[in-house]
Formats: sequence, structure tokens, C-alpha cells
Amino acid sequence: MHGLQRQIVELLPRLRRLARVLARDPVDADDLVQATVERALIHQDQWRPGTRLDSWMFRIMKNAWIDESRARNRRGRVFAPEEQGEAIGLDGAAAMENRLAAADVEKAMARLPDEQRLAVALVLVDGLSYREAAEVLEVPQGTLTSRLVRGRMALMADLEGDAA
Amino acid sequence: MTPDEKIRERIIAFVDGELAPAERARFEAELAADPALAASVARHRALVARVGAAYAPVLDEAIPPQLLAVAAAANDRVFRPRVGRLAPWAAIAASLVVGVIAGRLALPEQGPLVARDGALVARGQLASALSTELAAEPGVVKVGLTLKTPDGRYCRTFQSAADHLAGLACRQDGRWVALTATAWTQSANPAYRTAGSDIPPEVLAAVDGLAGQPLDAAAERAARDRGWR
Repeated sequence: MHGLQRQIVELLPRLRRLARVLARDPVDADDLVQATVERALIHQDQWRPGTRLDSWMFRIMKNAWIDESRARNRRGRVFAPEEQGEAIGLDGAAAMENRLAAADVEKAMARLPDEQRLAVALVLVDGLSYREAAEVLEVPQGTLTSRLVRGRMALMADLEGDAA
Repeated sequence: MTPDEKIRERIIAFVDGELAPAERARFEAELAADPALAASVARHRALVARVGAAYAPVLDEAIPPQLLAVAAAANDRVFRPRVGRLAPWAAIAASLVVGVIAGRLALPEQGPLVARDGALVARGQLASALSTELAAEPGVVKVGLTLKTPDGRYCRTFQSAADHLAGLACRQDGRWVALTATAWTQSANPAYRTAGSDIPPEVLAAVDGLAGQPLDAAAERAARDRGWR
């Protein structure tokens, strides 16, 4: 298997996780991953071996998501129904508790503006550094931190009622 | 920036490990002396843990075959498309689900698939590619996805530019038995060859029908090196 292909396959779990934060509905999320991989392959000449493939592909996903959000807003479509995020097979009380806790997080994340959700996804979920996340989002680091602060305050306000 | 925002930015930078060592030490000293600040830090840490835990299970999910197929198309450019007449036997094999009726077909003894004991068995170049090639290595025959079925067999998708054939074959008794084979021509226009669309839908449907677990690059190599046993 060749370099770029292997690296993309190895990135798929992280791409799927980031997409799930953005799109929430698992089917929409995998569509976003597919669009991202296709764009990356079309523009593979623009990626320089030796630079970070993850940052490059996250940036592509960010742009694909923003394009998709604009199209969706034009069509007047809103997020997938909330129940969809919860209609996943449950087994056992512990699994159900985890699933419900995750569903609350997903709902709270879905209420964030796109730019805050992207910042939170890259830093809190994927664990990128501020510098890396700012590069992916193509914004100054100060803009990133201010989005991180606002996003986190909104999440806390949303989640702490039931976590107390 | 208001004083509130300033302190919040410091808190999250501390929680995210983004403070420089000197600032970090200063913040830790303040933390020890200020229970309210310590409580804020604890809330932020709890949030990070909760958000991270909510999405962590996605990393362990099986990757859908369609996504692997799209990624596996990364090296299509190394293929020189050969567009022309279909090989005569490929027209015979087109779109048939071979396992069921192979025993009754009079297939030629030449070509990449031959009928043996009621099964269509890969031979020659196709068989050796299935046994030795890793996904999307350049060659006349390209292997796309490799899966392991619930009963422990290895199955692989293939596309043969020379034979104008694509399909899915599984390892069985030391041979590669085709479950599905269909006529296939490499798209001539590179713009149409960027995605997993290169694997025909009927082959992807057969992959879905296997309920197999797709192998990543390391597992694929390991399985090959063990001779698919």
C-alpha cells in the first residue's frame, strides 16, 4: 500500500470522529468524511509529503462542512431530529448511562454556532494544540481561543444543570 | 478583553496545557491559594473529559466499506486505463452471481476464472495478485478491500484492467473462489477515477453481504504473510 493511501486509511477513525461532532447524524457524518477524502484525492498534488496530513484533511473537512452548511441553510433544512442521535442499540445499564450522557453532549454541541463547535471539536475532542487548530481553521490563534472560551461557557451552561 | 474573559482564557489555556512553563508555575501558585479558581479549573476539566468521552467510541467503530473503498482509490493514477473491447469471456461473466450457477456454465479454460467443482476459481495472474498484492499496489490486477468474514475466511475485491473484470473472491481450501464477478472497465477520464466509485456497486453490495470486518493495512499485510490462513 502506498504512503498517502495508507495514511488516509489510518486517519479515517479520527476523520469520522470529527465529522460526527460536526454533522451529528452518523450517516451525514460519513457522507462528510467521504466528501473530504474525495476532495483530498482530487487535490492530492497540493499536499506536501512531510507536512501534517491530519491538519490538511481536517481543513478540507472544515471547508466541506461550511459549504454543506450553507447549502443546507439555503434549503432550509435543520439538524437531523434529536431522537436520531439516541436511537442506537443499548445494552446494559452502564452502556445506557454512557449513551445518555453522550447524547446530552451531542445536543449541547449541536446548539453551538459552527465556528465554536469546530474549535471545540479540534481541541477538546481531537486534542490538537491551539497552533494546529488555528491553522486548520485558518484563523489567528486569538480568534481560536476566544471561540474556545465562548463555546465552553455555552456547553457548561447547557450541561451542568443535569451533571450537578 | 474584559477581566472575566482574560481569566477564562488563562483557565482554559492551563487546562489544555497551553501555558508556557513560567506562566504555568504562576497559575499553579494562584490555584493553590484560590479555592474559587480551583473549582473553575475542576469544572473545565470535567467538561473536557465529558466531551472527549462522548465521541471516543467512534474511534473503535468498524469503518464502513464504502469509505475504505474511497480511500483505497488514492492510487488510481498509477493505472494506465485500457479502454477497448471487452474480452469475450468477460461478457459471459458480466453481472452474474457466479457461485450459484457456476457448475452449469461452460466457461472457457482460459481466462482469470475457471469452473472447478462447481465453483469459479481464480487462476494465473488474478490468483497470484489475490495471494500476494496489497491493496492498490500498482499492477494489471488491483486489489481493493480485504475483509475477514465472521467464520474466519479472507475475502478480497479485485479489479483487473487487462481482463476487464471486477469481483469479490474468498480464500477457500487454498484457492480463491469468486463470489461475484462483473464486467468492468477502467474509467478513461481521471476526473471520474478519484473515488471508490471505481469498485462497481454490485461488488460493494457483495462486500456488504459478507458482514465481514475490513482489514487495515497492517492486518492485511499480516494475513498475506501468513498465507491467508
